[in-house]
Amino acid sequence: MSAVPVTLTEDELRRLKAPARRERLFRLASYFSPLLLLLLWELSSQLNLSDRRFFPAPSAIAQTAWRMVLSFELFDHIGATLRRVGVGYAMGAVPGIVMGLILGLSRPVRRVLGPIFSALYPVPKIAILPLILLVFGVGDASKFVVIAIGVFFLMLYNTMSGVMQTPQIYMDVAKNAGATRLQTFRRIAFPAALPSIFTGLKLAAGSSYIIIAAAEFLGARSGIGFFIWASWQTFAVSRMFVGIVVISAMGYLTILALEALERRFVPWAKH
Amino acid sequence: MAAALEIVRPSPAEADRPAIEVGHLTKAFYDSEGDRVTVAVSDVSFSVASGEFVCIVGPSGCGKTTVLRILADLEQKLSGTVKLHSATPPAMVFQETSVLPWLTVSENIAFPLSLKGVSGAEQEKRVRDLLALTGLTDFARARPHQLSGGMKQRVSVARALVDDRDILLMDEPFGSLDEQTRLVLQQELLRIWETTGKTVVFITHSVDEALTLADRVLVMSPRPGTLVADLEVPFERPRDVVEMRRDKRFWDLTYKVWRLLASPARA
Repeated sequence: MSAVPVTLTEDELRRLKAPARRERLFRLASYFSPLLLLLLWELSSQLNLSDRRFFPAPSAIAQTAWRMVLSFELFDHIGATLRRVGVGYAMGAVPGIVMGLILGLSRPVRRVLGPIFSALYPVPKIAILPLILLVFGVGDASKFVVIAIGVFFLMLYNTMSGVMQTPQIYMDVAKNAGATRLQTFRRIAFPAALPSIFTGLKLAAGSSYIIIAAAEFLGARSGIGFFIWASWQTFAVSRMFVGIVVISAMGYLTILALEALERRFVPWAKH
Repeated sequence: MAAALEIVRPSPAEADRPAIEVGHLTKAFYDSEGDRVTVAVSDVSFSVASGEFVCIVGPSGCGKTTVLRILADLEQKLSGTVKLHSATPPAMVFQETSVLPWLTVSENIAFPLSLKGVSGAEQEKRVRDLLALTGLTDFARARPHQLSGGMKQRVSVARALVDDRDILLMDEPFGSLDEQTRLVLQQELLRIWETTGKTVVFITHSVDEALTLADRVLVMSPRPGTLVADLEVPFERPRDVVEMRRDKRFWDLTYKVWRLLASPARA
């Protein structure tokens, strides 16, 4: 575990460290691979392979974006969307994880409540947005709620399956060590489910941005979704694309951040 | 847990009572899909003296693990009596890898203590002693996936010893290890047992291992598991797991146990 007592040649050391170096390279590449797609798009636009009225070149979109950055016009929209996603996400994830742990650990609770969740889960979240607007009004509260509902179910099912896949041996270890029910919950079920919980968190992050974009199309005066819709209505296609890129980047960065957290908190799992 | 085990706290007058008394223990499993009943353990009775090292040997599927799991209260008996005369519940060392992958070696060993709210300093001291006892000091901060199978079992043994319980239940703890590693760990287990004086029930399918370790060997027949013999192992202590193989009695006993396992009806 400490320093190597036997001396290795330069070449041996190089070969020994090669897989780790390749792994770092792959990680770097994974950050930049989306750029390749942009490059292809730029080329097809420059070569007139696509209609520039509907698909302006990335460089044209970037110019529009730069002007908008200079005028500070986008930041309020980004802030509004981030706030809605952040609050709604937390409101859905925490109860989703807790319910998932409970349902995963307790067969009676799973038997009784499981069918209710199974029946509610397939309802498209956007389909009930009018109902949510009716109950929670057109303000931010309705956005929080619609995101929370979407996140809740993803976290519930991922956490539950993580707990249910916990090897029985870990439960036996806990019982033999004298763990109470709450200790088994916190010290065994939760860490055992963590890899699945992170899978859920990443799925839920992606789905949050889908939901917020649609929700802001319909009933908001701010946010990236609203901005995209308003641009479309004035046929400001470049601006619309800036909105699309911005919300995509927000989703991408969120997932990158979650992956960093995952490496930090689930160091025993393979990524 | 209505059928939980009866744990009797020993009073001075009962000092020489057996640590474990099992009477007419029967366990069956019911498969509701095939409507099939499997009797795993049938009418097993034995007792283990305080401080004694007993091995239960038998073929796979003879119910020896079931007996141990019932002693550990991880499984409910169907009928019979199980009495543990002990101040503490028994500690278990499992057959398969049971170290928790999200904890370091030290944290795994400290796990039972951490559940009971033992102070950090006290935990650290106990863990340091056990790391030294099991030869894991250099791996204190390692994660389980960085360890070999033998080291993982050392961690399991250390964890079972950390809160100093009176009875140690071991379910083929060295079954999946190579022969050299197993021999080393057997010798270490004997050393630990000799210094701690715990009552040990050790399950194995290896006749060799049973004779190496035990004061007494209980031989079980295939399903439904019943006891077919209860043999004294006369070797003096402390034992040297390699040297004792030069003793003719070792091979006589080996032959005797093999005869029993080959045709339990003749016993």
